[in-house]
Amino acid sequence: MEKGFGEKKYMVELSEREVEDLRNSVKATSLKLMDEYIERMKKTWPNRPKIMEYFDEVAKFFGTREKEILKAKEEGRKVIGYTCMFAPIELILAADAIPVRVSSGIYDTTKLGNRIVPVEVCPVVRSTIGVGMIGFSPHLEVSDALITPLTCDGMAKLSEILSDRKPVWTVCPPRLKDSEQSMRFWREELQSVKAKIEKLTGTKITAKKLKTAIETMHRATRAFRRLQELRRGAPVIMGRDAMLVNQTSAWDDIERWTKKTEELCSELEKRRQEKILACAPDTPRIMIAGSPALWPDNWKLPNLIEEANPQGVIVADEFCSGDRFLFDPVGVDEWTMDDMFNAVAERYLLPSTCPCFTSEDGNVDRVNWLKARIEERRVDGVVYHVFRGCMLYAMEYTRIKKALDKINVPVYYLDTDYTREDVGQIKTRVEAFLEMLKSRVEF
Amino acid sequence: MIVAGLDMGVQNVKVVLLKDRKILSRGLAPSGFEPEKAVEKAFQEALEKAEVAFSDIQHITATGVGVELAPKFDSKISVVSADARAAVYLHPSARTVIDVGAEESRVINCDEKGSVLDFALNDRCAAGAGAFLEAMARALEVKLEEMGALSLKAKGTTSISATCVIFGESDVVSLIHKQEPKHEIARAIYDALAERIVSMVHRVGLKPDVILVGGVARDIGFAAALKRKLGTEIVIPENPEYAGALGAALYAVENLGGR
Repeated sequence: MEKGFGEKKYMVELSEREVEDLRNSVKATSLKLMDEYIERMKKTWPNRPKIMEYFDEVAKFFGTREKEILKAKEEGRKVIGYTCMFAPIELILAADAIPVRVSSGIYDTTKLGNRIVPVEVCPVVRSTIGVGMIGFSPHLEVSDALITPLTCDGMAKLSEILSDRKPVWTVCPPRLKDSEQSMRFWREELQSVKAKIEKLTGTKITAKKLKTAIETMHRATRAFRRLQELRRGAPVIMGRDAMLVNQTSAWDDIERWTKKTEELCSELEKRRQEKILACAPDTPRIMIAGSPALWPDNWKLPNLIEEANPQGVIVADEFCSGDRFLFDPVGVDEWTMDDMFNAVAERYLLPSTCPCFTSEDGNVDRVNWLKARIEERRVDGVVYHVFRGCMLYAMEYTRIKKALDKINVPVYYLDTDYTREDVGQIKTRVEAFLEMLKSRVEF
Repeated sequence: MIVAGLDMGVQNVKVVLLKDRKILSRGLAPSGFEPEKAVEKAFQEALEKAEVAFSDIQHITATGVGVELAPKFDSKISVVSADARAAVYLHPSARTVIDVGAEESRVINCDEKGSVLDFALNDRCAAGAGAFLEAMARALEVKLEEMGALSLKAKGTTSISATCVIFGESDVVSLIHKQEPKHEIARAIYDALAERIVSMVHRVGLKPDVILVGGVARDIGFAAALKRKLGTEIVIPENPEYAGALGAALYAVENLGGR
């Protein structure tokens, strides 16, 4: 842990001994858990393609990817972490810096977070605080600075708390996105972040560099969309595996990730031709909506769905760490600096269906996005996943439920956090929901 | 054709035997710490009443929160599905099933075949189930069996919160200190639980007929409170605590090809 980084506004003082003990115990449990979950994914999908092992490796914290980033840092590259998908990745890449998502999915560190914020706060925030306290996260630790979008209350205060450990660059998305003044404000927010990125890296973001970065992300989006496309028909990939690929894009070298994802897609397309399925074709097709299920601890819900009896297959999610993450490309008209920059700003604001937005017609974009995914992926039922303390997703449930009732798609509301103790109770609920869907499919 | 439904409840293990889709007998034993023994006892009771042997049973379907602890079964089904099947069997026009058990409560919408259309379960906390009543009766120093009749004498002059068993208990204690009559406190206790159940009913939708099952359905104080808060008639079958086991047995029949 770096010493003397500003005044500690929130962080509690822990002795070096305590930090060391906590790191060791959390690391041991997390590594074991990640191995176990990967094994379970393999078991559920016996003919899992070999290429998936590449993504397993990226997903394993403290592994080859962390070493690679550390080496790049030694060679002078900067790492810019971000807590949420409003961070403009193109600008980070254009400055030759490495982007990594730092929001944590580790359960043990939520208990540490409880020392600073109440247990009612969402587990992503508590877990990320916890990893900050003991310098545990491979992603947070390697970051030279953090871009912290102030989306929900939790993210806003998380930014303040993390500022005890790292320089934070706040960006504030406006609550209303469909107006010229919102867009102007947002562009200015990103301009100020751009200047900070340039200052940290000592690299000027030129039009040429930005164009290259946008094109890199276009290729990533194409691979990403190609993968989600494969989740439309008879299941050729299990949901958990697709989710793992999606999430690793936030940690991996994006160009290599794109290449590997294309390889996976080619294999899956071959399987689609040869009708080699990942599970029975009549398996109920599930969408998880709501709060993001983060690797590794929050894999418990996808685990339950795909290991249940009757089994379900996750064909879609609406996570900012999943199906929404690389979904939208930057739409450039002319490759001038101004046009490209504005296109980047628009890409992060306008298509976003985050529940932090509203309008005079509420978050209608989100309703439409969900309905479109439900239709194209032929979703049989939606599990509406809400983190305890995630007020925005919880409050929008009623509207989503009404909209889905109208198109006759069953939805089940499930609230939980990273706890490992409630798996039994959630299982009861998930299995009852799947039984219900199964009987609908049969009749 | 003899089949069995086995419900591994938190408090009791229940068994229902069916012959040609008609109820042959029932058996019950406290779950305790040795589920295998409890299952054996419940089966023994049902088998003795029906005068049949264990080997006569062609199929056992298990259900319940503790289904993983069941020693032997041929198939399993969730309590939600089991409740819906049982409800329509017991009362063919049932479309909303309310099941209040020891530590779990459920509200289910079903169709005329007993297929689940929608459902809600209580938050993972005992404040929405029978355990709440037990704790409150203890705080009130009355027997749980007597609290129902006691509450019927009340006019409804006070209320408590049922957000949590612990808070509920301290509410009851402070009402005792205020010398609120016991029957009024008893009614407040039932109202608090009923309100939680009613909000679950409205989450899935209130569709008549409403049937109340589960062990707590036997409690007249709760049934009265639920009727009051729901503003509708409620059907309470005989032996409501066996609904889960009955539904499981009906699935056993289906598993053997009957309907």
